[in-house]
Amino acid sequence: MLNINISKEDAKVSAVLEGRLDTVTSPDLEKELDAVLEGAEELVLDFEKLEYISSAGLRVLLANQKRMNKQGSMKLVNVNDTIMGIFEVTGFSEILTIE
Amino acid sequence: MNEENREQINKDRKGIGIIPQVAIFFAIGVLISGLIALVSLRARSDSTIRRETEAFAEEVAEDVALSVGEFPAHEWLLQYWYEHADELDIEYDVTFGPGTETERKATLLAERYPGLSLRYADADDIAALAPEDRKLYAEVAYSWLITRVNEIKWSHDADFLFCVLTDDSCETQFFLFSAASMGAERGTNYEEVYPLGVTVTVSESQRDAMKSAVRDKSYLAPAGKYVDYYAYMGDVGGMHSFIGLTYDLQALTHEVNQQTGGSAVLAMLYQIIQSSLCLLLLFAFVLKPLQKILRSLRRYKDDKDSSAISEALSGVHPHNEIGKLSEDVVDLAKEMDDHVKNIASITAEKERIGAELDLAYKIQESMLPHDFPAFPDRREFDIYATMDPAKEVGGDFYDYFLVDDDHLCLVIADVSGKGVPAALFMMASKIILSNNAMMGKSPAEILTDANAMICSNNPEDMFVTVWLGILEISTGKLIAANAGHEYPAVRDPGGSFELLQDKHGLVIGAMDGIRYKEYELQLEPGSKIFLYTDGVPEADNADKEMFGTDKMLDALNMNGHADPVEIMENIKAAIDDFVQEAEQFDDLTMLCIEYNGPKPDEGAAADAVGQNSEDAVPALAEEAAAEPLHDEIMIDALPENLPKVMEFVESRLETAGCPAGTISMIGLSVEELFVNIAKYAYAPETGSARIGLDIMPEQREVMITFADSGMPYNPLEKEDPDVHLSADDRPIGGLGVYLVKETMDSVTYERAGYRNVLTIKKRY
Repeated sequence: MLNINISKEDAKVSAVLEGRLDTVTSPDLEKELDAVLEGAEELVLDFEKLEYISSAGLRVLLANQKRMNKQGSMKLVNVNDTIMGIFEVTGFSEILTIE
Repeated sequence: MNEENREQINKDRKGIGIIPQVAIFFAIGVLISGLIALVSLRARSDSTIRRETEAFAEEVAEDVALSVGEFPAHEWLLQYWYEHADELDIEYDVTFGPGTETERKATLLAERYPGLSLRYADADDIAALAPEDRKLYAEVAYSWLITRVNEIKWSHDADFLFCVLTDDSCETQFFLFSAASMGAERGTNYEEVYPLGVTVTVSESQRDAMKSAVRDKSYLAPAGKYVDYYAYMGDVGGMHSFIGLTYDLQALTHEVNQQTGGSAVLAMLYQIIQSSLCLLLLFAFVLKPLQKILRSLRRYKDDKDSSAISEALSGVHPHNEIGKLSEDVVDLAKEMDDHVKNIASITAEKERIGAELDLAYKIQESMLPHDFPAFPDRREFDIYATMDPAKEVGGDFYDYFLVDDDHLCLVIADVSGKGVPAALFMMASKIILSNNAMMGKSPAEILTDANAMICSNNPEDMFVTVWLGILEISTGKLIAANAGHEYPAVRDPGGSFELLQDKHGLVIGAMDGIRYKEYELQLEPGSKIFLYTDGVPEADNADKEMFGTDKMLDALNMNGHADPVEIMENIKAAIDDFVQEAEQFDDLTMLCIEYNGPKPDEGAAADAVGQNSEDAVPALAEEAAAEPLHDEIMIDALPENLPKVMEFVESRLETAGCPAGTISMIGLSVEELFVNIAKYAYAPETGSARIGLDIMPEQREVMITFADSGMPYNPLEKEDPDVHLSADDRPIGGLGVYLVKETMDSVTYERAGYRNVLTIKKRY
């Protein structure tokens, strides 16, 4: 289950995620981000309430990172330890900007 | 000249031809018979000679005696001659006729005594003569006699012919007269003939001869080349008188020998001629045709041409055994031809039958369902079955089919006997059984009706043992009937395989009118049934020991969690191990089914799962720490089923006391692996996945297996992604398995039967 809270302010998009970003829920995130990222220059994802991420979720992050690399920037905030571990194992800690 | 010819020639050299053999025999025969002829003829000739000699001597002596006897007054004459030997004046060896002294004396006497017949004067007549006239008469008579006796000597070619007198002592011989050859001199010297009056002393042998002659009237004794003969003539003046004869046998012997020799030679000649003729006949009527037969036979040996040998031997004519032999040889050659043709056609026939049998076997084999997985979209059960035939086409079969959407029919059967009849009967039985089952009948009805149908058409009295069961898939209720077949082996979940000693009806096909009974069995998810024919427990090794149901059960129970494929493989391995080199005697037919429970659908099933775990939690919480937990679910591999899978795993782990972080990590791997199956295993179709969970609290270890029956795929073979690439360079994908590998303690892959099985382990 995933709750996505997206807000857009000019060229900055913020998304607060709650729950699990897995195979089932990743398509939802992807859809919702796609809807708002047109012309965005900054994307911030808040992972404070995100408990779990799987490769499906990583894929969505990668795709959006690549996109934002062209449009502007993307960063993740409040990543918990477990998810951080996943980022490190997969080398995503170097691709993503994590604060 | 090849090896065979050389051998033949050497063989021929040994041994002699029939003609030389017979010729040698004839030669020896001729020689022997010639010798025998010679010897016997010689013996005969000797006796002939002896007889001839005697006859001759007798004849001569007879002649002489007759000559003497011609004179009626011979007695007086003989005596007078003896007494007055010295005084007589005898004219010896003259031919009669005028001019001789004797003639003069005879004329004188005739003048003096006109009535006197000198020839036939008898003793009285002589007595009437004057003494000096008597002397004259004696001289004349003597002359006549001596001439006569000479003639006899000449004509008979005797060497000595004489008349002698001797006394009882036989020591001396007084010569009365002795015949002379023409021109011989009279006297006592060597070569001279004795005149009247000579007395000689005789040898011992002559003495004995004369004595014998007195006794036997005559005596004949060979003396070297000569023969001495004495004929006793009676007494004259108190003395014994003999006529003596000596003659040379040589001439006679020579003549006789010539005769006999001639006869012998003639006989031998005749024999030789006859032998030669015999040999010629032998040659013409035996040897030549035999040689011809031999040559033709040799040639036939090489070329096996019966018409050639027939032609060659048609010229063999003798109407004897050889001719018959030749005919027989030709017949034999023709028969050989037929025989060879026969064999060729028999062999061709055999091959044809062999080919057809092979085809029949293939047809029979293809009749048994052999696609696995059998029902890929029905994950409520797993079936695996095999039939390994013994040498010939067999009579065992298994069958499984869906009667309708909720009913699965299972059959295992064993036809009596082997070979084509059993195979045909098997096909018929299989079809009858499945037809009856498809009509929706219950197992008892199916067997009853099938039995009736089979019995009505069973003149050969074949029969078949059958176990038939119908499983209601949604409930796990199994109804089954057993017609004389082996007890099925059943394993309840969590238990072990045991023989279910169900009630046996009579075998099918034995008797008409039999009504069969059925029984019920409730299967739970995880229940397994193992069906087999007697080939399995009766598989024997070189020592003729049988595998037996105990070993079978041991092999079945070797691995409690094994799926049907693995179970079958275990059994087969156990049988192979037991039987080793011994030949497989009977068909090995086995079927294994595992019941996985009813199809999990969206609502009820999931709740059921959830409910179970929720209800179970408080109770289990205390036990979980101590007891190893095994659980599994079978579920359609669809991404939307992921939450159920996660719930299944995570709830169990929680109950077992696994820390949250670890649960999360394990959950991640579960997600990755399940999603992989969902996306790729059956693409573009869908299938099911089975997730097995084993928690060992003592070792604080979790093992999870993911099994799918999709295309063979080992995710571990995929290369790890390069985690150091930049965002732009990173490809999308390939992360899932990598995550699993990195976060789990061990990840292993196995292809088991028709399944991919991935196993992860994690300690907590």
